[in-house]
Amino acid sequence: MSSLEETLQRAENLLQPYGQSFNRPELNRLDVYLQRENLLAAVQALLEARWGYLSTITGIDRPSAAVEEGQTPTEGEIEVLYSFCSGAAVVSLRVRAPYSDAALPSICPLIPSATLGERELMEMFGVKVEGTPDTSRLILADSWPEGVYPLRKSFVPAARFSGEAKGG
Amino acid sequence: MSFEPLGENRFIVPIGPQHPALKEPGHFEFVVDGEIVTGASVRLGYVHRGIEKGAEDRTWIQNLYLMERICGICSHIHATAFVQGVEKLAGVEAPPRARAIREVFAELERIHSHMLWLGVAAHEGGFDALFMYSWRDREVVMDMLEMLSGNRVHYSANLIGGVKYDLNPEMMDKIRDGLNYLEERLAHYLDVVNHDETFIGRTRGIGTMTREQAQLLGAVGPTARASNFAFDVRVDAPYAAYAEFPVEMVVAQEGDLHARFVVRILETMESIRVLRRIFDNLPESELVTRVPRRIPAGETISRVEAPRGELFYFIASSGGEKPERVKVRTPSLCNWGTVITLAVGHKLADMPMILAGIDPCFSCNDRLVMVKRNHQDPQVWTWADLRNYGIEYYR
Repeated sequence: MSSLEETLQRAENLLQPYGQSFNRPELNRLDVYLQRENLLAAVQALLEARWGYLSTITGIDRPSAAVEEGQTPTEGEIEVLYSFCSGAAVVSLRVRAPYSDAALPSICPLIPSATLGERELMEMFGVKVEGTPDTSRLILADSWPEGVYPLRKSFVPAARFSGEAKGG
Repeated sequence: MSFEPLGENRFIVPIGPQHPALKEPGHFEFVVDGEIVTGASVRLGYVHRGIEKGAEDRTWIQNLYLMERICGICSHIHATAFVQGVEKLAGVEAPPRARAIREVFAELERIHSHMLWLGVAAHEGGFDALFMYSWRDREVVMDMLEMLSGNRVHYSANLIGGVKYDLNPEMMDKIRDGLNYLEERLAHYLDVVNHDETFIGRTRGIGTMTREQAQLLGAVGPTARASNFAFDVRVDAPYAAYAEFPVEMVVAQEGDLHARFVVRILETMESIRVLRRIFDNLPESELVTRVPRRIPAGETISRVEAPRGELFYFIASSGGEKPERVKVRTPSLCNWGTVITLAVGHKLADMPMILAGIDPCFSCNDRLVMVKRNHQDPQVWTWADLRNYGIEYYR
């Protein structure tokens, strides 16, 4: 077994009690789907085992898909990836929060530097990060309206890029 | 952070957001108790351009040009991270010669970036002779980049599936000559950094970060490696041609500012060595491989070693002509976290050097306001004043 495989296997074992499902999308990656209640415990497990470091917090907007007749519309969600890296291995803890209850626990008590990523989540996706130490604006202008989250798909910039070459 | 429990003798020192002498704007607030910093916070966003949102509106090709423009210093590495991610999603690999040429551009870019930093950091320490020399010498590598691509900043070497520019023997000979000169100069700078009394006084034992702190705070790149947190994407997860033309990882034990200087200078010398190896063994192949216009649905993570550390791209495709999501996490974001934490307990006079020590892609400030509580007249300082204050303090 290569050391990359061993590293990923070790993470999978550590996260076994918390993950709902596990997936290997690429050779060097492990995706762990979690309930948000288990997020802190999962982060704690990686930290205690000194497995890598938190590289990035990525938010993704997952709006509800277009519904066909007769189906119940599903609620849109914000998916958040907490990506930890160790050598070439990347483990992403993936949690989802529905629009109506877009809240996640803060991981700052465990990893203080996560504050920048959490502030970004709050501003760009409208995720309420419960217990995060600093809720002031990090990226958007002070005059940016409350409740408008630019990285949600429903946000359409006033001036859209046309993609067409000018002149001729 | 809260500014509520300020005592009688505490000051808030805001630094930012604008300063014409530095590259980009950022705002820091340091709470000081006398001379000692007791708290720090950061406010970014003054140059927020909405690139991640903009990426969702552009085709894969258009995004290549957009991503290259995220940074004006490490432009090539952004494009490299992006194209490598897109190539992974498309299931293609750039030809061997193209991957080697990507590495050539990346290492030339690292040399210019580290030399730029050496100058800026020396300047913040009041060592302007070193600043001028290192920037003069940096022109040598800028000329190489211009010779190869016609551009000094946005070389635009990458294509999805390969590169645009080839290297010929005459170009490589010219670059070899330039590298010989740079190697000599860097050896001299290393000597200065290690032996100049004044310089050592400003750097040794300042802003020290332990390996544990570096790991917990998520430090990356030379900032982390100077604290013996041995991680370099080029070594640990080779991309481009780093498997064929590997680099030696440079680490230091001390974790202080001095170590950050030594690590960056040695890294620059390592870049020179690997460039020579590539020129001696440049593989023959096509420069570009065919890539479909629509990129298959999927998600990928692309990591590369930018001059400032690990650069992280998350790219999601839904199978169309445009990406579903592009997330970019630049190395400075990680290293800012270390500044906020490390600043505490240090002298205000050390702040310019500690800030410069991470090689931040940020800008400092036009003025600094010292506000004493219950004091009528806030004293307004320029960044130059703060810098002079630091220099005078250590005189």
